[in-house]
Amino acid sequence: MNEKQLRRNQKGVSYSKWGYLFILPFFLAYFIFNFAPQVLTIYNSFFENYREGLKQVGPNFVGFGNYVKLFTPDKTGTINILKYTGNTLALWLLGAVPQILIALLLAIFFTSYRLNIKGQQFFKTVIYMPNLIMASAFSMLFFTLFSNVGPVNQLIQAWGWSDVPIDFFAYKGTVRGLISTMNFLMWFGNTTILLMAGIMGIDQDLFEAANLDGASSVQTFFRITLPLLMPILVYTVITAMIGGLQMFDVPQVLTKGKGMPDRTSMTLVMYLNNYLGGSKNYGMSGAISVIIFIVTGILSLFVFRTLNKKD
Amino acid sequence: MKKTIAMLLVLVMVFALCGTAAFADEPEGKVFNIYAWNEEFKGFFEKYYTVPEGVTVNWIIVPSDNGAYQDALDAALLNQADAKDDDKVDMFLAEADYILKYVDSDFTQDVTALGVNDFSNAYKYTVQAATDANGVVKGVSFQCCPSALIYRRSIAKDVLGTDDPAEVQAALSDWDKFNAVAADAKAKGYYMTASFAETFRPFSNNCTTPWVDADNNIQIDPQIEAWMAQTDEFIKNGYTLTAGVWDDEKNVQMFKDGKTMCFFGPAWYFNFCMGNAQDPDKGCSGDWAICEGPAAHFWGGTWLLAPAGTDNPTMLADVMNTFINNEPNYGSAFLGGQNDVAVFSEMTDNIVWENHTIYDQLLNEGLQNSLQEYYRGSVDQDTAMENFYLYVNEKYPTIVTPWQSHSKPSRGEANASPLLKSDRNV
Repeated sequence: MNEKQLRRNQKGVSYSKWGYLFILPFFLAYFIFNFAPQVLTIYNSFFENYREGLKQVGPNFVGFGNYVKLFTPDKTGTINILKYTGNTLALWLLGAVPQILIALLLAIFFTSYRLNIKGQQFFKTVIYMPNLIMASAFSMLFFTLFSNVGPVNQLIQAWGWSDVPIDFFAYKGTVRGLISTMNFLMWFGNTTILLMAGIMGIDQDLFEAANLDGASSVQTFFRITLPLLMPILVYTVITAMIGGLQMFDVPQVLTKGKGMPDRTSMTLVMYLNNYLGGSKNYGMSGAISVIIFIVTGILSLFVFRTLNKKD
Repeated sequence: MKKTIAMLLVLVMVFALCGTAAFADEPEGKVFNIYAWNEEFKGFFEKYYTVPEGVTVNWIIVPSDNGAYQDALDAALLNQADAKDDDKVDMFLAEADYILKYVDSDFTQDVTALGVNDFSNAYKYTVQAATDANGVVKGVSFQCCPSALIYRRSIAKDVLGTDDPAEVQAALSDWDKFNAVAADAKAKGYYMTASFAETFRPFSNNCTTPWVDADNNIQIDPQIEAWMAQTDEFIKNGYTLTAGVWDDEKNVQMFKDGKTMCFFGPAWYFNFCMGNAQDPDKGCSGDWAICEGPAAHFWGGTWLLAPAGTDNPTMLADVMNTFINNEPNYGSAFLGGQNDVAVFSEMTDNIVWENHTIYDQLLNEGLQNSLQEYYRGSVDQDTAMENFYLYVNEKYPTIVTPWQSHSKPSRGEANASPLLKSDRNV
């Protein structure tokens, strides 16, 4: 007892309680608004709980029944949730890969003391601009632009490229292309700014030293910029992926919730929304949420491991 | 001691009696809550109804996009028993597409018991629509919407040689004639209709079976099949467009340069939704007329329904009696002088309200959305139907569709998927 007291006295005054006090509001908010709903979602996913008209069915405990239903193949042998997972990943990759490459390139241009681009503030603002528009407004704009009687089709016909309007929403490639383009446009500015911050955090002496040793730009990029940028890049890729797996607003509004054609642009969250809208099927949508959570966890771990590999 | 207890009991009883008596004598609630999805009824209400003194009318208006109105209304009705008197739903509006969901539930009550009894001027189908499976009337029609065939006079003259409503009606009085005229219109460079779903309602309003049978199996009515066959033909031959009913691609067909002969819609459709066509610069006002077309049908319509548990039953009955059968009278300059009210009243007698289910709205929408992909050439018809059934099961887990893996496979299909055998048979 005495020893303990002694040890405590030796340590001097502890200010750590203030630290805990200051971070308390965040943790409280997190527990109430994030953690509790998350646990409830998992809990709900084990119940049959929906509405038919005004009649409430359940909640009845069904164990893993909802999960079994999700992974049961339909008559053609398709397991639909896998199809929508594939759609989501395809849509994300189509937008994210060019997004990160272009953002990286732009970040290097903007931070290069050799190029010393003028009017950086202006460009930074402009490339960030699309992110300020609401995704749903942006999607409606694209829907109108590319509709059968929209300006794009009018131009195509005026220039004589095609006699009949091109139905952009009838083909998998064009719909996915449009969704990816929109996501790319909306997010590359944000990524550029994050990566610029990362590059500017690298000690400038290293670039100068490399320059003096006669390293080419490509060598500088692969030997200095990229390795030292890795922590930020990993962060960017993982946050982009979490956002990508939860992709909803752009495809939902662009395809009016249909995920056309043939449900090839239906993402996981759109699928979840199908269950939630109207019938309030908390059981099934809870199960889909849990699956999204698990998929996100696994993929994040994978990305983290591969990109953070120590040489 | 006993005395005190006895006294207490008596006192309690007296209070209890006074309590109920006081409650019974208490005037009705001070707040009358009306749920609606737009301001239309509010306008009529404020013009034609005198609110009793001391009562505040509270409008809860939620737009119907994406089912938001029904979501808000459902939440309020489900909470009706626990809500404070001033928060109870006292009256709500419903449309034809989903009225049954409310009529066939315990959340609405018998209006005849409230004192709404005079249905003599109401059209038969509007009363049928507000009547539940046991024959109890739960509301009144405020506005009924018989839908007509709206045709472009100039095109009709070119194709049929006449723009007289009676003669056009004779030429388009059934679907065989309609389809034949479509070919003539095409030959002259016109479209018959401007949307693949344009003729859906005239067919679906005359279904002979409901969407699901007694065992909750989904069934495609012969009328729906006929619509599918017609649309298939129309798309293949270029008689119509692959646009949806509300798409811009269809709307431009209503303008001066439009090449489409027929549209289907009620008075509100040509008065409010064909607005661009009424614009003298863009449109062709006066170049239109209506007739019944191949099949009697309706589109929309507003009913006033009586929620169970309202704290203003007398005022509710009073409002309903004020508006029952009170149809707004639209002008018809747009139709080149034709008396549309007369045409519509005649048409309404032929409308039937039969074979409806609470699933109608989403199933009709889902079928059209899925098939649109087929008509656009994205998928084959089987895939389109498969996607429709998937959608049905997402919305209504209890409906049995042929595509559900756990439904019994028919003999020919037993070996279609090896995975089926290991399946649970629910």
